[in-house]
Amino acid sequence: MSVMENPSDLITIQGQWKFDYTYFAGEHASRFFRELRENRKIMGTRCPKCERLLVPARGFCDACMERTTDWEEVGPEGTLETFTIITAAFPGLPKPPIIMAYVTLDGADTALINLVHGLDLTNIDAAAAKLNSLPRVRVEFVDDPQGRITDFSFRLI
Amino acid sequence: MSGAAIIGVGQTGYRRSFPDKSSRELIWDAAEEALEDSGLGIDDIDVILAGVAPDALAGENSVERSGMMGRGKPFMRINTGGVTGSSAVLAANTFVLSGRAKAVLVVGLERMGQATSSQQVFNTIFDPVYEKDFPLTTITMAALRASMLMRLYGYTERHWAQIASRSLRNALKNPLAHMHKDVSPEDVLNSPMLAWPIHRFEACPMSEGACALVVTNADLAKGRSAAWIQGAASTTDSYAMGDRIRRPGANLVDLLSLRMSAERAYRQAGITDPRREVRVVELYSAFSSAEAMAYPALGFCAPENGPRFVEAQFEDESLPRFNPSGGPQGANPVSVTAMVRIAECALQVRDMAGERQVADVERAVATGQGGATQFSTVCVLGRRPVQ
Amino acid sequence: MAERPQVWIEGVALEISWADPRRSLTDLIFDTVRAAVDDAGRGFDNIDSVVLAAHDLVDGRSLSSMVTAPAAGAYLRDEIRYGDDSAAALVAGITRIESGESERTIVAAWGRAAEHDVDAVSRALFDPVLLSGLGLDELQIAAMNAQRWRQDGGDLSHVAAAQARRAANARANSRALAEGGRRSAPSWPLEVDHLPLWADVVSAVVISGRPSGVKIRGLGQSSEPYWPGDRELARAPALAAAAGLALAEADVAVSEIDMFELDGLTLYDEAVAFEAVGLAPHGQGMQVLAADPRCNPSGGSAAGYCAPAMGLARVVEAALQLRGTAGAIQQKQPKLAMASGSSLVAQQTQTVIVMEAV
Repeated sequence: MSVMENPSDLITIQGQWKFDYTYFAGEHASRFFRELRENRKIMGTRCPKCERLLVPARGFCDACMERTTDWEEVGPEGTLETFTIITAAFPGLPKPPIIMAYVTLDGADTALINLVHGLDLTNIDAAAAKLNSLPRVRVEFVDDPQGRITDFSFRLI
Repeated sequence: MSGAAIIGVGQTGYRRSFPDKSSRELIWDAAEEALEDSGLGIDDIDVILAGVAPDALAGENSVERSGMMGRGKPFMRINTGGVTGSSAVLAANTFVLSGRAKAVLVVGLERMGQATSSQQVFNTIFDPVYEKDFPLTTITMAALRASMLMRLYGYTERHWAQIASRSLRNALKNPLAHMHKDVSPEDVLNSPMLAWPIHRFEACPMSEGACALVVTNADLAKGRSAAWIQGAASTTDSYAMGDRIRRPGANLVDLLSLRMSAERAYRQAGITDPRREVRVVELYSAFSSAEAMAYPALGFCAPENGPRFVEAQFEDESLPRFNPSGGPQGANPVSVTAMVRIAECALQVRDMAGERQVADVERAVATGQGGATQFSTVCVLGRRPVQ
Repeated sequence: MAERPQVWIEGVALEISWADPRRSLTDLIFDTVRAAVDDAGRGFDNIDSVVLAAHDLVDGRSLSSMVTAPAAGAYLRDEIRYGDDSAAALVAGITRIESGESERTIVAAWGRAAEHDVDAVSRALFDPVLLSGLGLDELQIAAMNAQRWRQDGGDLSHVAAAQARRAANARANSRALAEGGRRSAPSWPLEVDHLPLWADVVSAVVISGRPSGVKIRGLGQSSEPYWPGDRELARAPALAAAAGLALAEADVAVSEIDMFELDGLTLYDEAVAFEAVGLAPHGQGMQVLAADPRCNPSGGSAAGYCAPAMGLARVVEAALQLRGTAGAIQQKQPKLAMASGSSLVAQQTQTVIVMEAV
């Protein structure tokens, strides 16, 4: 049974959902970003128990619930494990087509996500076939690193 | 006799938006239907559990509170992302098994019709320290996996399309579903590409709606049409997808958390041969390609035989039926989707699924997935309690 | 029906800090969860379940448990997250032990006030259709409650003393926030010192069915209606009901409880809480807060506050007292303790736990 006789009398109320946050990156992420900016190095930290080198660097290993210890550099090359080619535009994202992939850099036990360059995307299926063959990639830094994850990307070699 | 059972189900049905309903009204509608189905009144309910996932989708903080019912009852909200709906049912099961509740009302609500862009919201689920700058979305996450499945096991885009088409055609028989479109595999392959290799019709719609269940102990289930919770388990995996890629024995597409949950739930239920002992599977797969990861995890086939298993579904009547409701491709009210899987399994077991009823459902399995397929739940429902 | 298994608190930890730039939220969570597990003394053996309390809007992440649960030990375990006060999460954890589903469970909760805008999040709690246009927030509701309490004849003569005792307790409590933190702007009749000290809080316990120092004797939960206008102002009936249930299960009277850690957003909420559980008649709650050493020796919300970590924080403070390890604020050999936690909106749902030292 309807409470309102005329459906066009149903109102909507505009609203915005916006909250500001200040995320503390912590000393591990802070150092990771500083190494990107100052030394163009990608760093991982080692879990003393399972001995994995975790990249990006972090303060603890969640599998073992242990604090990490040693810092080690990884790369500059690695293997592209899986990817996607983004062909549709979404709000807030770079213009398509772009390639996003997980890469295990040499020395690391975990994979890192970033954008990939160096592939002609005119034929998407051919590009996908190439990317789906565990190709090797090399890290490429921007000219002026800022201490953000976007300071580097991967290039197919 | 012990154990817990679902004796009441309520669903508002799912669509893009309900412009004539407030959040409270939606919850009430589903709850009222579930209570009536159960034969209990609100005063018989000992605890109310509400499952609501991202507040940002509704633009209302603690939107579930508008649905508090009865007087002075314990009321708790659960938020585990995509698995919220099933986490809430599993928590209800636990309350009943602990003896602290004889009857629990579980409600879930999705109000994403109030959001202008859900993908923007979904982008905020990722790590703000290391991942905020990337186009990480549920779509690109699924695409990363689909590529890997194709490389490892020989799936093709056609397999994804066949699964999507099957789900959407099943939804035609479900009046509650959001999507009612007769879509062929060709139609799926011709739909726009979202992120390679995922086509639009393989993704799920943005749906609103509410679902409610009444879970009781064995005494209250006696003499009523009941779907017994024979097994229930939940497992959480590591957050970082990159950590799972090279993990020995359990890589990114191995769905370890689902496999572990299935093993525990099957063991509780006494299932040893799922391919023969399970008649219906309501799978939480937000993308048709994601369904493929579930088959080996649920013990239906070896991973490398997945493509053959997809093809066999269209040929072999003896295999379990997947997503007779249409699954998440038919309707995806995020907070509720995992609960809907359980609700649909309950209806199937109780012979109350109308046109989408599968014959002779002695046992049904419902799964839930959340986060970057990080959380997995498995719920086994059956006509009898476990002895 | 078979006896319900007894549940014990094996390990506890609580950290209240402010804006520590060396640690991310996950680092804070890891530190306190590790501390609770270490306190239990059995490592991670047989820890098979994790129950969390955290709120997405507090954490600034739309499914915050995705990123944060691993820091709380969720890896390959049965983990669930409640978007409600952590004392309720503890109840959920207790049911896991009682049902036989879990052998040992971690219960953890957090809220980091230094990362989010507490007032903005609080305003968003209110129904956007009918209420939020008014800019209402939790503290304004608390102020209205305080005013109603005064109007109903609340005894104001002890307000200053109650606040002074609260502040002194917080100063003496080694776990309280010594420096930093933030307070919102008070609405009349509240004064700034009556308000909670917003802080970064992480609380954690480990529970199991194996005998340990602190036994769960009873618990109770209740709730009030959604609309502020439907609720009984200045009375906390949900807390009264929950306390009654917990005491009944424990089979003790409130007069037998040796110490209380009751959650309240403001000084007035704490006073009303003591009335609601039956320690003081209506209107006299300030007097017990001012003079009764059993009441919130931790300093309550003046020691540092961030929802939804507080119910569990109250439980941890009570457990430390029962074990005799509360430090400078230790009360003399308490045997029975009561702790409570309250949820949004304006303490609408309440959970009470009664514990015993063994």
